[in-house]
Order: sequence, then C-alpha cells, then structure tokens
Amino acid sequence: MSPMANTVPFSLNRLVIVAGNTFLEAVRQKLFNFLLLLAIALVASAQFFREFNFGSSELKFISDFGFGAMVFFGSTLTIAATAQLFFSEIENRTALTILAKPIWRTEFIFGKFLGVFAVVGVFCALMTLLLAGLLYHRESGLMTMHPEAFEHGRIIHYADLVVMGMLQWLKFGVLAAITLLIASFSNTNLYTVVMSFFMLVICHLQYLARDAYAQVASVPLRLLVQVLGYVFPNFQVFNLADQIGVGSGLDASVALHVVVYALIYIGVIGGLAVYSFSSREI
Amino acid sequence: MTNAVPSAAIEIRDLTKDFSLNLRGIKLRAVENLTLTVPEGQVFGLLGPNGSGKSTTIKIILGLLDPTAGECKVFGVPSRRVDSRLNVGYLPEAPYFYRYLSGMELVKFYARICGVTGKRLDARVAEVIDWVGLSGAAKRRVGTYSKGMLQRIGLAQALVHDPRLIILDEPTAGVDPVGAAEISELILKLKTQGKTVLITSHLLAQIEDICDRVAILDRGRLILEGNVTELVGQRDRQALIVDPLPLEQLEELKEWLATRGHTLNAVEQPRARLDQLFLSKVSRSPKGGKE
Amino acid sequence: MKSKFPELRAVRVGVVVIAILVATGWAIRSFEEPTWRVVRAQQPAMKLDSLQGALGQGVTVGLLGGFRAIVADFFWIKTNSLWEESDLPATQTLIKIVTAIDPRPLYFWLNGSRMIAYDMPHWRIIAKGGYDAVPPAEQKRIDSEQSTVAINYLREGFAYHPKSPAIYLEIANVYLNRLKDVAVAAEFYHEAALQPDAPYYAARIYGELLRRLGRKAEAYAWLKQLYPTLPRLVASDAANGEKSATQRQREEFIIETAMAPEVLMRIHELEKELKIAEQQKFRD
Repeated sequence: MSPMANTVPFSLNRLVIVAGNTFLEAVRQKLFNFLLLLAIALVASAQFFREFNFGSSELKFISDFGFGAMVFFGSTLTIAATAQLFFSEIENRTALTILAKPIWRTEFIFGKFLGVFAVVGVFCALMTLLLAGLLYHRESGLMTMHPEAFEHGRIIHYADLVVMGMLQWLKFGVLAAITLLIASFSNTNLYTVVMSFFMLVICHLQYLARDAYAQVASVPLRLLVQVLGYVFPNFQVFNLADQIGVGSGLDASVALHVVVYALIYIGVIGGLAVYSFSSREI
Repeated sequence: MTNAVPSAAIEIRDLTKDFSLNLRGIKLRAVENLTLTVPEGQVFGLLGPNGSGKSTTIKIILGLLDPTAGECKVFGVPSRRVDSRLNVGYLPEAPYFYRYLSGMELVKFYARICGVTGKRLDARVAEVIDWVGLSGAAKRRVGTYSKGMLQRIGLAQALVHDPRLIILDEPTAGVDPVGAAEISELILKLKTQGKTVLITSHLLAQIEDICDRVAILDRGRLILEGNVTELVGQRDRQALIVDPLPLEQLEELKEWLATRGHTLNAVEQPRARLDQLFLSKVSRSPKGGKE
Repeated sequence: MKSKFPELRAVRVGVVVIAILVATGWAIRSFEEPTWRVVRAQQPAMKLDSLQGALGQGVTVGLLGGFRAIVADFFWIKTNSLWEESDLPATQTLIKIVTAIDPRPLYFWLNGSRMIAYDMPHWRIIAKGGYDAVPPAEQKRIDSEQSTVAINYLREGFAYHPKSPAIYLEIANVYLNRLKDVAVAAEFYHEAALQPDAPYYAARIYGELLRRLGRKAEAYAWLKQLYPTLPRLVASDAANGEKSATQRQREEFIIETAMAPEVLMRIHELEKELKIAEQQKFRD
C-alpha cells in the first residue's frame, strides 16, 4: 500500500445512490405488472375457496395460499431480480462506467443488495397488506355466518401476520445476498439463477443434515454432514409460524432472534460477495 | 497531493497483464512490458488493431483490472486505489446506459456518484448536457437514443464531475461521420480547456486530425510512440498546390527546378477527403440532437 | 492483489468463501439453536415413510422445504373432489395422507372423520344396491366398521391435539349417532366437558345422556354443579353500553348457546323425578 492517505472514504451516501438506481430500474421494468397479476390471482383464489364450504377454516386456506404465494413468488422475484439487475450491469457495461468512478466495490455490491432488498420489501409489504385485507374482509363475513366458530373473537392474529411478512422479507434478504455471492463469480445469468434456486432448496433442507448427523456411523461422512450443516443458513427458522391462528401467538423475543440471525447472514454473505467481486475482472 | 512528476497524467511502467484461460495455467498475455507516459494537457491516441491490448490497458488505468506485473499511476496515485479515479472521466466502447433513465437522470446519477451535490448538481448536469448538445433530448429515456446520442450522453457522464483526464475508448465506433465529426470537435474543445484526453481508435485518419501524440500497440507490445507531426510528416518532401498549369508552363517549371538541382516527382489532381465532402453536403443536426 | 498464480484465484476465493461460511455457521449455532427448537416444536414430525409412496419426490421436497401447510391444503381440496365422486378407497387414503402431512389443523381430523363415519357407510350401501336391497343387519355391520375406522383415526389425532375437546366430542358423536352406544358416548362427552375451553353443550349433553341412561341422581348432581358456571344475562350486562356492537353480539350468542334456562329446567324436572324434598331443591 502507498503511504499516501486514501482520500476517498467509504460512503453510505454513494451506496444509497446505487441502491436507489437499482430500485428504480426494477420498478420501471415489469415488477408492478407482476405484482398486479399476483394480487388478482390471490383475490381469485380466495373466491375459489368459498365453493367448498370450509366454514371458518376457509381463513386457513386463504392464509396458507396467500402466504405460500408470497414465499414462492417472493423467492422467484428475489433470485430473478438480483441476478438480472447484477448481470444487466455487467452485460451493458454500465458496471464499467460506475466502477470507473471514485466508488468502492463494497458500495456497489451493497448498493445492489439494498436496491433488491427494497424491491422485495415493497413486494412483501403489498402482499401482506393484501392478504390481511382479504382475511379481515372474509373473517368479518364468516363471523356473522358462523358465530359459533368465533366465540373467542377473531381467529386471525393480524399482528403476527405482519411479523411473518417481515420475517419472510428478511429471509429474501439472505437469499438476495446468496444470489449476489453466486453472481459475483459466475459468468451467466442463467447459471446464477439455477444455482440460487438450488441453494434456496438446500437452505430449507439444511436441518435434515443436522438431524442426520448423529445417525451417521462413518466418521468422514459424519464430518462432511456436519460441515454441510454449518455451510448453509437454516431457512426454516424463518417459518416461525406457518400457521396463522393455529396454536399460540408469536413470541417477540424469538422473532427478534430470527431478525438478528438474518442480519448477521446478510452481512457475512454480502461481505463475501464483495470479496469475490473485488477480484473479478470485468 | 503528490510529488511525482506533475506534468504526467498517466505513467505506466513495465506493465504486464496475463489472463488465465483455464485452471491448468494456460495464459493469454494481453499487455507485455508496456512503459508509457501521457503528458498532461495533450490529446493522446492509443492505436492498434483489435486485440492489441488497448482496452486492457485502459481498464488497468481505471483500476477495473489488476496488473500482473508493473505499475500504473494516474496523477501520481496508483490506479488500484479508489482516489486515483477522482479526476478521471471514462466513456467505454459502445456503452449501453440504463435505458429506463432519461438523459438528465442518467447524468445526474453519475454526478451524484462522483460527489456533485446540492445546487451545483442541477447546474452542472444542465451545463454538461448542453455542452454535448443534448439539451433538447434530456428528458427522453436513454433507451430511445441513437448511437451518436448515446455516445454524447456517455461523454456528458464522463465530464460531469469536471475531471482533468478523460479516457475515451473507441468513441466514434459505429457512429456516422456527422456524429464522429461532432465528437472530434468536442475532443478538441476539451483540449482547449486544458484537459488531458486519452483516446483509442482504429480510425486512424480521425486520430491523426486531433491527436498531439500517439502510441501504437500490437499484440500487447508498444511498437511506436511519438508526436503525430513528427511521425507522419515527410521532411524530405514538399507539396506545392497551384492553379491548373498548361502543359508548356509545366515543362518550364520542370526545367526551372532542374537547373536548381530539384526534381518534380509527381503531378496530381488534389482530392478532397471523402469524409470532408460528406460533411459539407450533409446538414448537421441542430443542437438538441433530434436524430 | 498480485498473485503468482492468477489461475488459482477462483480456487482461493472458493476456499475462503466456504471457510468463512463454515466458521459463521459454527459461531452462530449456539445463537440459533434455541430459536430453532421453538420453531421445531411447532412442527410435529411427518410420517414421511408412509407418504413417500403416495407423493412424488418433488412434493416431498416441497414438504420438507416449508410448504407443508399448502401441500396439505392441496391434498384436502383433492380429497373433496374425490369425496364428491364417492370414491371410497381414494378418499379414505387421502384423508389419512392430509393429516400425515400436516396434523396441526383440527379441521382436517374432524372433517375427515365425518366423511369416514357418516358418508362412507351410505356409499357402501348404495354400491350394494341401496337401503332396500341391503338387509338391516348388513347395514349395521357397515355402519359399525366405518365408525370404528373413524374413531381410530380420531384417536390418532390426540397425539397432536392432546385433550382437545373437539376430538372428544367428535368421538362421542360417532358413538351416539352411528353406533347408538349411549353409555360410551356419555363418557366421551364427559371427557370433553372436563377439558379447558370445552363448549357448554358438552356438559349439558353429558347430563342429558346420564338421565337417558337412567342414572338420574348422577345427572342431577352434575347439572346442579354445572348451572352456576354457565353465563347468564345479568341486569348490569344489559346496561353496559360501553361494549361494541360485535362484542355484545358475541356475548349474547355465548349466553344463548350456554342455555342456562334450559339447564335449570332440567334440574327442576329431575328434582320432580327424583322426588327431592322442597328444602333441598336447587335454588338459583
């Protein structure tokens, strides 16, 4: 290193500028059409459940499907948007023009991350709001139709619904960081998307490796299983309650633990993406 | 800021860059042992055929690539460092900018990255867009721009933070002669403002008109460097351009020269260059760039 | 960073990335473990071995990957369409698959058992030519078989919903309505009534069945003890104007379904039947 002091310190401001631009790019693409379609599909599916006469359990079906749609399409959106927004910079050479400015690669990568995270945040917020609205509307209807099922008041814990939406958002944050890490060394968009989906599945099944660990007899294999359990974050902890209105409400301190867990992983994996990207020849 | 030779904008010493093609260690040497100095305030042409190492050299100067060996400094600061780019503007070859932004938003984005803020921001953005002649199209999305306009908005983003060194990679590639001439004009204007311009091109005629100094690379090696007039001027020859002479007067002239020990080597009809003819016949687009 | 072996850079980056991920996973484990235990406790084990044959591999991965509730929902909807076709073997299998996937919603247990106990005997009788063609003894045998399947199925539900009054009630209903076994039904209504959050009618029906079984003294004692626990309309409640309309509506509903006046009436009837002395009669 040169003895001269570096006159360009890390700047949160530049990071936010990159994030804002990334967000704008995503929003001006087809994101909102996608959201609109999903919203329509959700409302339509909620209508569909009326056909079955499930009684108050109709709410369970609406919340399961609404939440399932959020998890599934949220994961898809996170991976696709992260990979697309990263590779459009590389392929359109805009990364060259940005990185030729006095900017740190850390600012660039975390700016990209923050932009995607904001996009996914909007997605989660809108889906949660829509789902809560749908459930509230239907619950009010069902309460007059089947008062016996609502002896103890409303079944749906709306505050829990919001917490769950937030936890999914954080999970998507970790997923976006993983996608960025893969993108930072991969050559194509397709490879990044496929690998990220693969990782998404593995992170959801990570707990199986942990469960299996004790049962593996051979020592080298047991070590391998143990390492596998450590390499991947556990995405199942974000399913703090995949059942709304079943069992007791959410425990705030547990939810807070999950938040910290996500933030640590976002920091570490994001840092690794910066490390890998800093040696990338663009 | 630095005690290193103040008159050099770029100093490259013994620079080598290898690209590994695979894990078995097969390498491609893109630049070999290059030593080059770009003096401040000049227009410097980096010439060479495709694959000669021009773009790699530029990327190393911009800190986008790490050299395998040797060093590269920009205004005395090693090019790996972020602050080496404080005074550099860069226009890549055939840039595709964020299509969803308007020209104005695009330039503003780069300006903010470079730390241009507050009241200066809007004024500077408007100024530089006007300077490249795109005021009329500033609110249009970049996705609708023609190639020449893209190049000009690219120049605007490179200049927005008022850098001392401007690096242009093939700025006229794929641009029609009118657009290319406009870009050449802008480059000469930059020179009058005291900026250093490093330009790569394979359109040698164009370079010849605007460059003070050129370096020619071939397969990663420097094969020639010097002042343009020194390199291409033929000092042992002179051309006289006169009105059409009748045959007998031409014979008299030959005799006159012969008695003084000179030879008339060639009699030709001078021709205008095709690009100049093209430019004189084709109307230039008005400022505002409605192409 | 200069390196003598730039071609090894990818390998070096990969090794560093994996090493840091392992270190992070190891360091964060003790922080994550308690949270994971809480989450895990809410997710009862799946009987995967019984499922793997029935589901494709993709569905199994979906199940393990956190889409459990929604997969169960899909199978429940499928169960309903099979139910509409009166396809007995398929419906019965799917009912069990649904709760094997996700045993948490009580709804699946209750409605599945109703299909088995109430609808399937009807299908079987129709399949054998109808109520006129099948002799009553045979009809009874079919009823009894299906009821046994339903009761065994509901008993499995206790593993996930221990002391659930709803399951006790459902079993009681099958004994009472399908097997006509009043004594066993009464026991299950009794169990249901003893659980927290049991509906008031469980206790009332228990009293009623005791009376029907001729155990009038027991019925009388039970109802006497029940009556004071029932919510009733009190003057101060009616005057309470601070409650919202829905809250008041709900309370009125609870009071109505608790049927305190009816219980009091039964007590008085039993007093007559048991010839209780005037001074020992129950006073509200």
